[in-house]
Amino acid sequence: MVVAPAARTWTGFTTAVRLGWAVSSNWTRPALFVIYAVLRPISTALILVVMYNVITGGRGNARTYLSFLIIGTAFWAFVNEGVSEFAVGILEDRGRFKMLKYAYLAPLRFPIFLVGRASSKLTSAAASVLIVLVVATVGLRLPISPLEVNYGLLAIACLLAFIAVMAFSIALSMILLAGRDAYGYGEIMAQVLYLFSGAIFPIAVLPGPLAFLASLSPLAYWLELTRRAILHGRVYEMFPNLSDGEVLLRLALATAGTVALGYLTYLWADRRARRKGYIDMDANF
Amino acid sequence: MNDRAEGARLFLKTIVARAYPRVVAANRQKSWVFFDLAFPLVGTFAMVFVYEGLHAPKQFLGFVVMGGAMLAFWQNVLWSMGAQFSWDRDNGTLELYAISPTTFEGVLLGMAVGAMFTTTIRGAAVLLIGSLLFGVSYSLSGILPAAGIFLLTLAALYCLGMLLASLFLFYSREAWHLSNALQEPVNFLSGLYFPVKALGAYVGGAASLIPLTLGLDAMRQVLLPGTPRFLSPGLETLAVAAQIPLFAFLAYSSLRFMEARARREGKLISKWS
Repeated sequence: MVVAPAARTWTGFTTAVRLGWAVSSNWTRPALFVIYAVLRPISTALILVVMYNVITGGRGNARTYLSFLIIGTAFWAFVNEGVSEFAVGILEDRGRFKMLKYAYLAPLRFPIFLVGRASSKLTSAAASVLIVLVVATVGLRLPISPLEVNYGLLAIACLLAFIAVMAFSIALSMILLAGRDAYGYGEIMAQVLYLFSGAIFPIAVLPGPLAFLASLSPLAYWLELTRRAILHGRVYEMFPNLSDGEVLLRLALATAGTVALGYLTYLWADRRARRKGYIDMDANF
Repeated sequence: MNDRAEGARLFLKTIVARAYPRVVAANRQKSWVFFDLAFPLVGTFAMVFVYEGLHAPKQFLGFVVMGGAMLAFWQNVLWSMGAQFSWDRDNGTLELYAISPTTFEGVLLGMAVGAMFTTTIRGAAVLLIGSLLFGVSYSLSGILPAAGIFLLTLAALYCLGMLLASLFLFYSREAWHLSNALQEPVNFLSGLYFPVKALGAYVGGAASLIPLTLGLDAMRQVLLPGTPRFLSPGLETLAVAAQIPLFAFLAYSSLRFMEARARREGKLISKWS
């Protein structure tokens, strides 16, 4: 039977998504998986809430900063899943399940498989984001109303950010294939991005050169837009002098830069992986 | 040599043999040295910047740096004690332990001793780097009491690690996820980045079951004057000391039960599923 290339690509993509979902979640029952998925972001949010309360005493005039912390923490799940968990997933596919070489040999472009695996991670992160926001809105009485969210702005910002995150994490995971014992590097990279993203503190707090580097990252603009889309001026802003459109433009430019850099890195890392036999190399698992 | 003396000799040899790779191999593998330092450091930096964003007093940076250093131990307990038997089963070492003339307790104690030594060096590096970078100073008179509290906390923490190792014996893929799941909630409950008093009496009281909670709070009180007091340092130290035999007994009982069950169900040799 002849299958059209587009249909084959779609089938390959959806199979990669399903595979990613199964590997992530079928080690336990669905209810336990949901608890597992939200335990980390909820705990992080609680740490920040206590820190905020200890310093501010919960003063009313500081509550815009609390919203800043909560929204940043909630949406960070996308980056954590998309970078850290994704990189571990690819290394597991090779080292533990020994199936990465088959995905590479399949009649499907390898990046499609990787995008599919990353998409499943981002989808599972969405549930965690929603739960953290709902719990925080109710528990901390944040002024978030689902009727007042600028969904258009939120969707565009998230779409651009997901593209940037995928480009980054796919390039990173290809580079990590060079290591036999590289499964922790994904988490380290996610933690480093955490510092440069403005997720839990404004990037202006960073020392000068680091703040400049952070201003090149799409994540800072994405998180700024998610905050503005959800709370419209009732949240601490990292770029108070920039309009929504200007922040969006910066996000688009930073995303384009990340994709271009990610693509070039991917091509280089892929060539190297084939030449040196990294795709099916025995690794520490 | 009678059986008892021979058993004690074997037990001690097991401890040394299992500690050896923890001390030597862990330093040979450069990527592990990097991770052990980078994970707590990056997390510490992030929380320091949160406090700076909140314009917190300098004293709070000291809380975070000390918490970051102790984080290295909790990570070690989770990943290198709790989940270790699971990795050992996957690579075939667990079955060798089971058929050797030694005990799982000896193997676990060896793991703990080696890990304590290595992680103490890394934790000290985190403390030093963080303190120098952020200008944190400590009370000199508190150093000796803090060292004593630290040793008691480590003993209790690694006994808890042994308990986790026996509980995780039954897990395969879940072990990784369980360790991952326990990371952040414990960071919260043990007050790694804020004074434990902020958790309140009930949550703080429940969190005191984790040795890190009271141990870290007591060390902060003696090293960073002005730390909000949850309990007096003496009482906290006493509670941590009481946790050592408690967790050791629980680990021993749990290990006996789990080992018997694992032998019955063939779990000592079945790899991940």
